[in-house]
Amino acid sequence: MSRIPGRDYRQQLAEEEPWRQQFPYHWDADEAVTRREFVRFAVLTSGALFVGTVVLGILGKLDSRKRTKRQLIMKVGELEPGHAKYFHYPNSGDQAMILRLNDGSYAAYSQKCTHLSCAVYYQPKENTLHCPCHEGYFDPVTGEPTAGPPQRRLPRITVEEQGGNLYATEMNP
Amino acid sequence: MRREPRSVDYLPDPRPDVGTGRTPPAPGRQAILLASLSVGALLLAMQLWLLTVALELYLNGNDDNGIWVLAGLSGLVVVGGGLVLRMLARRARLRW
Repeated sequence: MSRIPGRDYRQQLAEEEPWRQQFPYHWDADEAVTRREFVRFAVLTSGALFVGTVVLGILGKLDSRKRTKRQLIMKVGELEPGHAKYFHYPNSGDQAMILRLNDGSYAAYSQKCTHLSCAVYYQPKENTLHCPCHEGYFDPVTGEPTAGPPQRRLPRITVEEQGGNLYATEMNP
Repeated sequence: MRREPRSVDYLPDPRPDVGTGRTPPAPGRQAILLASLSVGALLLAMQLWLLTVALELYLNGNDDNGIWVLAGLSGLVVVGGGLVLRMLARRARLRW
């Protein structure tokens, strides 16, 4: 578009390009975010983060109720030292394991790896708990991660002996 | 929100804020505004950090009130933001 000397350029544009009459906005104004809009968006984002934190609190309370359950695992002495038995706790879909450590004591954990939820297995020769998916290792006595990608310990299951039987009573994530 | 067409705003203007419907702040206020926005951004970052700490507590199965303390702090930031919004709206009404 050539500019005609002596004539108002804006007026000329408006006549030669009719769409400017229908959308008469400066293109900076079309994309501009005002400070007020920015603050409103920031407060909305802040509210969303707050709601997320509250939801985690509620989920934490709900989970703590679900984790307490008494369930028979096996008879005392059924497991030799250095062996493990796999069972389901607290629900039928949750895999768990009880270990008879070399000193004769028992330790029970969720079998779900705290990295990406693969199944963890007891390896008595190496005296370790091994997650084969990403080579994660846990201490069988404490459940703490010793090598590999896991950062959190395995959820521990409280075991109680009563009447010659072993019971799982509580899951402590 | 409907904007009133302004026939003089067709073309880009090299001057800042011209045609954008914004009034530039006074020279002394620019720094205050930018500082306020920076503090707001920092508070948002802090809230995100609080959320990650809450997630960590939740995954670790902490049953104490730690998550609720974090949620309370996060809520204070939201309330503060809401008050600022309200104050800005009141100032805009007074100006008109």
